[in-house]
Amino acid sequence: MPVRRLTPVLALVLVVALIVTLFPIFWIVMTAIKPPTDWNAAPAIWVPSKPTLVNFRTLFDPNAIREYGVGGVSQSATASVFGSILASVVSTFFSIVIGLFAAIGLSRYAGGSKVTPLIILSGRMFPPAAIAVPFVIIFSAVNIIDTYGGLIAIYVAATLPFSTWMLKSFVDDLPREIEEAEMIDGRSRLMAHFTVTIPLMRGGLFATTLFIFILNWSEFMFALVLSYGRISTIPVQLAKYVTATAGTLYGVQAALAVLAMVPLVLAGFAIQSHLARGMTFGAIKR
Amino acid sequence: MNLHANEDGLRVGVVNVSMVAPAQTKPSVAAKRARLPALRFLVLPGQIVSIVVLVVPLLVALYMSFTDWTPTHGSLFNASFIGLDNYSELLIYDSRFVEAVVRTILISVVCLALEFTIGLGLAVLFLREFRGKAVFFSALLTPMMILPVVVGYTFWMLFQSNGPINQMIGLFVAGNATPEWFRSAPLAIITVIVTEVWHWTPLFFLILLSGLNAVPENPIRAAIILGASPRQVFWRVILPTLKPVIVVAFVIRAMEVIKLFDEVFMLTRGGPGSSTETISLYIYKLAFNDFQLAYGAAAAFIVLVGTLVLINLLLLPIRDQLLQERR
Repeated sequence: MPVRRLTPVLALVLVVALIVTLFPIFWIVMTAIKPPTDWNAAPAIWVPSKPTLVNFRTLFDPNAIREYGVGGVSQSATASVFGSILASVVSTFFSIVIGLFAAIGLSRYAGGSKVTPLIILSGRMFPPAAIAVPFVIIFSAVNIIDTYGGLIAIYVAATLPFSTWMLKSFVDDLPREIEEAEMIDGRSRLMAHFTVTIPLMRGGLFATTLFIFILNWSEFMFALVLSYGRISTIPVQLAKYVTATAGTLYGVQAALAVLAMVPLVLAGFAIQSHLARGMTFGAIKR
Repeated sequence: MNLHANEDGLRVGVVNVSMVAPAQTKPSVAAKRARLPALRFLVLPGQIVSIVVLVVPLLVALYMSFTDWTPTHGSLFNASFIGLDNYSELLIYDSRFVEAVVRTILISVVCLALEFTIGLGLAVLFLREFRGKAVFFSALLTPMMILPVVVGYTFWMLFQSNGPINQMIGLFVAGNATPEWFRSAPLAIITVIVTEVWHWTPLFFLILLSGLNAVPENPIRAAIILGASPRQVFWRVILPTLKPVIVVAFVIRAMEVIKLFDEVFMLTRGGPGSSTETISLYIYKLAFNDFQLAYGAAAAFIVLVGTLVLINLLLLPIRDQLLQERR
């Protein structure tokens, strides 16, 4: 096909799309560096004349905001930041390890299972609000409600379909012959997977790890219904700020939102070429 | 996109189902397995986690949905078995539930239509050459990387009465005629749709663009040589080839948008009144505000069955292809 260039009209469309895409991100970042007087000013202030990091400091030191004559925030976000890191990192680790084993097992030894695609899809269709109900009951019964252990168990199970199918698509990409050559050297099949398969797919392993991390870090509903004060994550804390203050602490909330968003956007760009594969469970390979 | 991978892509979802599936007994498979020492135990940890953490709670929820259990009953066995009462109550008398279902479907249809149209439009633009293409591409993908709660919060700010959106509307509207987005039901629904479309159009864009890039060139060349106009090439050659990709995109997005919760929770909490309540939000309120847990579980199973039917219908256009590929 001949190389076709953008007409001026199409270029304009593209620029408009770019502005629409970036404006909300611009707004939240600007709000995060606005001093309290600018938070909800009318008319709205787009770029603060005196940018400040006080909102970020307030997240970890609830009294920092008082220098602007605004009452302190009732709660520090420190615990939720650590909670998010703990829950996401640990559950990502287990999801990847278990998913990697399952991926190799399914790709190499399952002999092409012919399960109706539909049945398997059904697990992702079930509204999490409903799965959360029995979780709350069961977790209360075994006393792991309001613990990171319980939350992590759910996160691992919830992301396992993604990690398994995404990793399986990377294992499928590798020819079996490479492993078989290693096996002829007298190694066991299991060893061959450790010495050949896994090292060869480390790019895919890295991408999947970040992808699962994004999913875990973003999760909101399970954390919401399973936390009763002892545990917290950033999304839960963000929702709490909105309730607790009826929207008067825009800047502090925005600061937390930015803090939550930055690692994900970085991770997302790092695995940009694999995002389609992750979102479609390996159906679309690039 | 390779077509063979389609099968994998649709064998998605809860791992346990495929893993727990009984072993295949076809001779070719058995022969293959004889050559390979069975390392099927590799999938065991995944099976165990999925069964313990997903299947067991689902069964508990299913049993619960046939009882009148509330937390005051204590143990689940103290509740009385009421058969299908919860289900008939929901479907026949609970107008709030029926409205939430209809509303969720409407929001989903509007969102998917907009996301697909805009996503496809942008993807087609990216078939052309221009400077800074890689940068534009990355920038346009950004929304889908942001956590839903943050997206919801950001749009909640944008739609405030003194927010930037009203400020821009104010340039065209005189006086105080700018809308109060969260005070009127139709406007609040619009905020939900705008938020959702902003958040997930990039996914359609990404999937459709990778599909477009993989369309083989020979049929296109042939069509051009035979005198097809660019428009004809697009509608008659490119789009049909793209069908499996489009279906994958729709199925995956439909599964997620039906569960819409985080963004609505941050934007409107279902308000004003219950006018923006989605199915998930209603179930959440039933279970965790009103403690009607058994009733909520029944609602969830109705939704599950409905979604299964819906996805089945969505998959129809590529069903023959799927069957073929499953050898």
